[in-house]
Amino acid sequence: MDRRELILAGAGLALAGCGVGDSGGGSKKATEKTIAKKIDGDLVYFNWSEYLDPAVIKGFEKRHGVKVRQSYFDSMPAMMSKLRAGIAYDVIFPTAEYAQRLIQGNQLRRIDRDKLKNADSVYPAFESPWYDKGSDHTTPYTMYATGLGYRADVIKGMTGSWRDLGDADPAGKAFLLDDFQEGIGMANQVNANPLNSADDDALGKAKDYLLELKPKLRGFSSDTITTMTSGNANIQHLWNGDIVNIRNQVDDPENYRFQKCKEGIPVGSDTFAIPVKAKHPGTALLFIEYLLEPEVAAQNVGWMGYPMPYKGAATESFASLVKDDPEINVTVADLDQGEQFENLGRDDRQAWDQVWTEVKAS
Amino acid sequence: MSQRRFAAAFLLPGGLWLALLFAVPLAILLAISFGTTDDLGNALYGWYPENYQRVFEPVFVPVLLRSVGFALATVVLCLAVSYPVAYYIAIFGGRWKSVLIALVVLPFFVNYLVRTYAWIAMLGDDGVVNGVLPGDGIRFLNTPWAVIGGLVYGYLVFMLLPVYAALDRMDPALIEAGKDLYGGPWQTFRNVTWPHTFQGVLAGTVLVFLPAVGDFVAAQLLGGPDEYMVGNLIQQQFFAAENWPFGAALTTVMMLFLLVWMVLYLRSAARETAAIA
Repeated sequence: MDRRELILAGAGLALAGCGVGDSGGGSKKATEKTIAKKIDGDLVYFNWSEYLDPAVIKGFEKRHGVKVRQSYFDSMPAMMSKLRAGIAYDVIFPTAEYAQRLIQGNQLRRIDRDKLKNADSVYPAFESPWYDKGSDHTTPYTMYATGLGYRADVIKGMTGSWRDLGDADPAGKAFLLDDFQEGIGMANQVNANPLNSADDDALGKAKDYLLELKPKLRGFSSDTITTMTSGNANIQHLWNGDIVNIRNQVDDPENYRFQKCKEGIPVGSDTFAIPVKAKHPGTALLFIEYLLEPEVAAQNVGWMGYPMPYKGAATESFASLVKDDPEINVTVADLDQGEQFENLGRDDRQAWDQVWTEVKAS
Repeated sequence: MSQRRFAAAFLLPGGLWLALLFAVPLAILLAISFGTTDDLGNALYGWYPENYQRVFEPVFVPVLLRSVGFALATVVLCLAVSYPVAYYIAIFGGRWKSVLIALVVLPFFVNYLVRTYAWIAMLGDDGVVNGVLPGDGIRFLNTPWAVIGGLVYGYLVFMLLPVYAALDRMDPALIEAGKDLYGGPWQTFRNVTWPHTFQGVLAGTVLVFLPAVGDFVAAQLLGGPDEYMVGNLIQQQFFAAENWPFGAALTTVMMLFLLVWMVLYLRSAARETAAIA
């Protein structure tokens, strides 16, 4: 063994036996400490890009005389790897599934709801959501549904089914979301299986359907705003908020429509959360409270195009945004009737990924 | 300080750099590639060689072959485009040489991702190019040609610069000598210019092939359903499936595969250098 191999072996040994990074080893006690609702420094903010009105951020900075230091992630796993690397964010925006994972890993501070003004405007459906029993570690931020966006001026034969994605556009300009959860979830619904099915039989059928669909697709893309506004897509598997943003960017918004599919509506929600490592949790709490203010929420909804599950102004703001295509709206009733993605265990997640990989590789 | 020590001190910064930013990450990658994940998707170290078994499942073979095919096509096209350009600049550029090379390199100051997005805007169905074309236009995007085109555009400079350097180094008198010996243009090129620039071509080939074969941006943004490449597969493991161990195993196998090519290149380069000297 030469010197170089020795170094390699040494580094490998030093790492063996421990987890990679800080993999969820937070202590329960650290998460339960009460947060004092007061400015305790600038806000370190971590979100999807284009997912919160910059004017709202400016408003918060002005009101409290602090800076909001913004950074962005482009996927939940990317957010997780930054958190694991130990970067101290004050406020993050995990999806429901990732909120559940973070709570299980003792990674989120307790948020005392009774301390937040306007917290009672949150829809009662979020009183104790599946991902955060008691709703004491997260505050709901948005909700969304997955369906098909299409150009009504080009496509005439929509039937209300997921199958329209492959069959409705004679020009074949169809895109499936490049997202293994949404892809397989949709295939499960087409096959009349529950959204989260992971048994061999259901996954075999999901794979068959996706392989049947694939030759009819022009591509896989989650960049739905680009595919639709560039004219490359006539029909696209997408989230309802994206169609709002697409309509904001085109000259003929009335032609860009949304279809919830009869086989099932995958629904989801995003949350605010304060990581245990946050250095300025007090500012973070004030930030969440600021977003709960009816006028602020209403303005934010108007800018980012996703509904926020708060009674009053926020709800009205979204309804007026989509008044000529109410199908785009997501209501709490939709959340009840729809199917939510759950956290799959390791083996199930790998089984889903295997199907997705085989579909894409074939 | 002895000369030996002095030389060793000079090696230190580079050595540290390599150790910290190459050897250690590589060791971590190797360690993770034998690991597993917990239910929350966190990677755990351990001994799970089955990650490697999965790499060799038949379903991945077409992906690997496709990646190599796309990368080879990219190399050939890069060479076909760069050689004449580099030749012109090196032989006929005169005092404009530096300016011309700077102009060729200029677009590469812009990030690769941004340039690829620009292709969507230019070549989309309602894009700039189709705007001036008559009729219904052409569907450029979401085809293998778009992916190869994006790769060529992305990595062209890595071929152009070494080829230009080789041509620039060559004494033009050699070409004249070839002509004096009654060589036609083709014979002169084949027997004089090409052998003298072959090293540059080889270097360019390696510099283009390596990043192109592992690229995922072009296939993701410009490709259709049938253009999935190894880079996309690896990216999927890290950023969607949260299976870092399998992603690391794929990466390791990919690196070993490329290492073979690298070794072949270095050996041939050494032989060539010996032959010319």
